[in-house]
Amino acid sequence: MIERIDIGRCTGCGICDAVCPADVIHMEAIAVDVEVPGLAQTKLLPVIKFREHCITCFSCEIFCPERIVDVHPSVKNRPRPW
Amino acid sequence: MAQLDGVLIETDVLVVGAGAGGLLAALSAKRHGTPGTRVTLVDSWTIGRTGHTAFSNAWMIVALPDDDVDGITREIVAGNDGIADQLLVRRSLEQSYARLKDFEAIGMTFHRADDGSYARRPTRGLDLARVMYPEGGGLEFCWRLRLALDAEGVELLDRIFVTGLVRASDGRIAGAAGIHSRSGRFHVIKARATIVSTNAITFRSGFVRDITGTGTLLAYRAGAALRNAEFSYVRPGTPKFYFEGITFAIQEGAHFVNAKGEPFMREYEPEWADEADVPRIARAMALEHDKGNDPLYLDMSAIPEGFREYFIQSKVKWMDNFFRKLGAEARTDMFGKTPYYALNQMTKMGIRTGPDCRSDVPGLLAAGLAQAGCANHFAGFHIGLCVGNGWIAGQSAIEDLDRTPPARLDAGQIQALHEEAVRPLAPAAAAESDLILRDLQAVMFAYDVGILKAADRLQTAMRQVEALAQRFGALAAPHTHELVRLKETEAMLMAARLILGASLFRTESRLSHFRQDMPERDDANWLVWVDILGAPEKPTFAKTPIPTPVCPVLPHAVRPTRRNQHFAAAGG
Repeated sequence: MIERIDIGRCTGCGICDAVCPADVIHMEAIAVDVEVPGLAQTKLLPVIKFREHCITCFSCEIFCPERIVDVHPSVKNRPRPW
Repeated sequence: MAQLDGVLIETDVLVVGAGAGGLLAALSAKRHGTPGTRVTLVDSWTIGRTGHTAFSNAWMIVALPDDDVDGITREIVAGNDGIADQLLVRRSLEQSYARLKDFEAIGMTFHRADDGSYARRPTRGLDLARVMYPEGGGLEFCWRLRLALDAEGVELLDRIFVTGLVRASDGRIAGAAGIHSRSGRFHVIKARATIVSTNAITFRSGFVRDITGTGTLLAYRAGAALRNAEFSYVRPGTPKFYFEGITFAIQEGAHFVNAKGEPFMREYEPEWADEADVPRIARAMALEHDKGNDPLYLDMSAIPEGFREYFIQSKVKWMDNFFRKLGAEARTDMFGKTPYYALNQMTKMGIRTGPDCRSDVPGLLAAGLAQAGCANHFAGFHIGLCVGNGWIAGQSAIEDLDRTPPARLDAGQIQALHEEAVRPLAPAAAAESDLILRDLQAVMFAYDVGILKAADRLQTAMRQVEALAQRFGALAAPHTHELVRLKETEAMLMAARLILGASLFRTESRLSHFRQDMPERDDANWLVWVDILGAPEKPTFAKTPIPTPVCPVLPHAVRPTRRNQHFAAAGG
């Protein structure tokens, strides 16, 4: 299951969102710090929106060019037969 | 009624679903069409990066020019206990070498041995068939095909979740309607031919749980018959980690044992033991569970130390990440005591078509596992068949264009499709489809319903599913993410009823359909397809004879595969 994305090092390329087969990661406008007080700035950055639906396919981790996505190999939400 | 607000896209051939079947259908349609023929491929998520094929090894059966195509067809027919479209299987095999060459031409690499010949492996349950896979597995396979389709001018529409098929004013299928799976925006794609290739239905249970195969149910609602609902692909596995190498581990000496450490497969399958095909292993596991001999394990201790690393690494990137991050735990889990279960992967229910992949409904074709070409699974056979029926479906769609006059959309039907697509949206609603899904899984995955069937238990399960459908009716979706899941769950509920109905109808045992109250295979009465027709609320089940133009159906003839030379070839 996806654990975290190191947003501080994220370039906002959106690949993790595009390759997610379970609609877990969404790019959203997030307020970021700017050097001039009083100016507001937002950047499109990935948000782990539906972690509970992660299928542990590692695509976001594999295709992230900055290698800042961490997926844990536990497969928590796979159903058992009874 | 919601105000109609959406986008219209026009094309000649629409392909829905971008796994092996859909990718090949799009490529085939583009290449068989005259210049300027418009081909559009849509998928719920990103074409080339998502779907069942993308996360597989992409093992596929390929018949090289010197292979015995009729022999392989015969053993596949026997391995399906006769429930196979013989012409489709043979046509898929006949053209598999040409597809291999197509794949190489678009940049895929298939492993070769030192002498330059293709590195191939036998697959469990089949004797003559050989499988191979492209370097990089399914992700590379799908991505290369995406790039090729893009370069050849196929229109690629990512993130269109199809919610209904469009019916033209003259009754034929003229495309599909759906929503953008992120923005929720309504789309109509008007087409002269529509190929549904959305996988078999799953209950979010396979190793790629985003796959739900809703297209088959849309086709059913549009008037197409379904078949093979009584069969499923249930395979041994562990919820703890992904392991797609059981077939090959068994070839190298692994075997299943019960809690006491006793091998049990030979008791149920005297001839084949652990080399029996997948449904027989699943059945033995369920019977062993009934005896109270849980937990069951895959004992891999016979695999020599020097070969073990092979099993905890993968040439498929995502699986390799998985094992690498598990670290030492991977070794302990795999070679130690990890409980195994018979896990439901997918149903085998698909759309009824002829060997040309045309359904009974004009304008509608089927490919991939959404097409009911087979009832059993062998490693490499699923994708091999999808490559084949995708190619055939694309060709048939192009042939149909010449005799298809332009369609006229029916405004009332489009309005109804829109209404149906967006009706459950309610911003204040709670997202609760997962609760229904969990209960549905509990009903359908119970060993004494999903594997060990009997009339009374199937009827009880049917009542439970009906009750779930009642509960489901009250659900709404606060956002598009949940709306998609809601639609998928709705399809699963309908599929469950068809599966239970077909399982009650087939009063014999065959392949994965094991009726404890009727345990024998009965060729005199049941060497037939069970076809499902009629209104979704009131399905009817009918026997359809299976043509045998290639070969008669022999008794179940699964042969243990020879211990292969893989490790020798790999330098092991």
